[in-house]
Amino acid sequence: MRTSTTFRNQTAGKILRVVIPLAFWLGVWQLAAVWVDTVYQPGRGYLLLPAPTLVAQRLVTLMGESAFWQAAAVSLGRIFGGFALGAAAGTAAAVLTAACPWAEWLLGPAVKVIRAVPVASFIVLVLLWAPSTGWVPAIVSALMVLPVVWGNVGRGIGETDPLLLEAARAYRFGRGKTLRLVYVPSVLPYFASGCATALGLAWKAGVAAEVLCQPRLAIGTRLYRAKITLETPDVFAWTAVVIALSLLLEVALGAALRRLGRGAKP
Amino acid sequence: MISVQNITVCFGEKVVLNRFSLALPETGVTALSGPSGCGKTTLLRVLAGLQPSRGGAVSVPERPTILFQENRLLPWRTVEQHITDVLPRARRGEAPRWLELAELEGEEKAYPGQLSGGMGRRLALARALACGGGLYLLDEPFAGVDAGRAGRILERVRALGVPVVLSSHEAELLALCDRVIPLAGPPLCLAEA
Repeated sequence: MRTSTTFRNQTAGKILRVVIPLAFWLGVWQLAAVWVDTVYQPGRGYLLLPAPTLVAQRLVTLMGESAFWQAAAVSLGRIFGGFALGAAAGTAAAVLTAACPWAEWLLGPAVKVIRAVPVASFIVLVLLWAPSTGWVPAIVSALMVLPVVWGNVGRGIGETDPLLLEAARAYRFGRGKTLRLVYVPSVLPYFASGCATALGLAWKAGVAAEVLCQPRLAIGTRLYRAKITLETPDVFAWTAVVIALSLLLEVALGAALRRLGRGAKP
Repeated sequence: MISVQNITVCFGEKVVLNRFSLALPETGVTALSGPSGCGKTTLLRVLAGLQPSRGGAVSVPERPTILFQENRLLPWRTVEQHITDVLPRARRGEAPRWLELAELEGEEKAYPGQLSGGMGRRLALARALACGGGLYLLDEPFAGVDAGRAGRILERVRALGVPVVLSSHEAELLALCDRVIPLAGPPLCLAEA
């Protein structure tokens, strides 16, 4: 009975920790929208700052259209594809540089350049080179993810406990077993942390690329069109969709990584 | 014969083994005793082939297996998995035998973080023994294990019929060994009996 009450209290506490700040900021937004409407032009304030209720109405309306779901699904697939590609390439590069010192020497400057080049430059350059506009957000997302995952996985490999590696040699683990039983579990937390950071970057860069290169089905395209037609509530609604999809992907990825690392330090 | 002849090991400026020689019979349980830091661990690592030495010669039976001074357990593997990981696929069914030897029955599904210090040490020992080989080199095998249990386990280890060289400070354990080599150092040398 006591356990159940404690559990209920803890759950309620967790919910309140999310709901109270959310309610506070929605309240601030609502007040700001009322104020803008008063000082700007009564009845036209939504063009600058729509109220949360109006954005919610627009979101519900948009969700009734099949084009909404198509744009959201294609953007999600495109950006997640770019993220997966960047994560795979970053991991491969980290393994290569850990195994061969010359690879670090050769690839290191390329990563520094990728880190330093502004996202807008990448988008414009990839737009010139890519076979279709649909590829641009995926490639730009991959380029944002690659150095983050590379850095994290490389650090994880470097910080794998040398005593465990010596034990693996002493107990005659082969390369595959050492990789599976020592390296992968040691590097997984670094990989997960890198992915969590990189996922946000992938969304930001991917949607920015969609806004600039305007593929037919894309959240970024809808966002841009809403902006040029002064449908400000739609701009907010599409931004909310980006945030929701980003959170959804983060939760799904977190769950997948936890499943992968099941058994690690209970 | 297990032997080292004229081996030298230095860590920076510190000479741990200086043209050190020792010969041990290839039967039973031999204990190396001596104060902490005298070089026992380094000698065991040289015998295991993990520590390169300058000059000299090392002669040991094929495939020696070492139990490290630290447990070096994998936090993400269960007790049972630690044993099956070192056994060939065809012999994985032997895991319960090694866990029984180390008195770890009932802990198969536990993770190292859930074990006491003594249990962790016994798991590390069981893993090293399960790995097999022609010589067991056990560095402080019963640190944190109570004397009665350590004695029982040592008898089971002796019954395996594989020569054992272990290092220990514990008088009760040394009394159970077939021979005790008193050492001093560094640099490592035979101590006065």
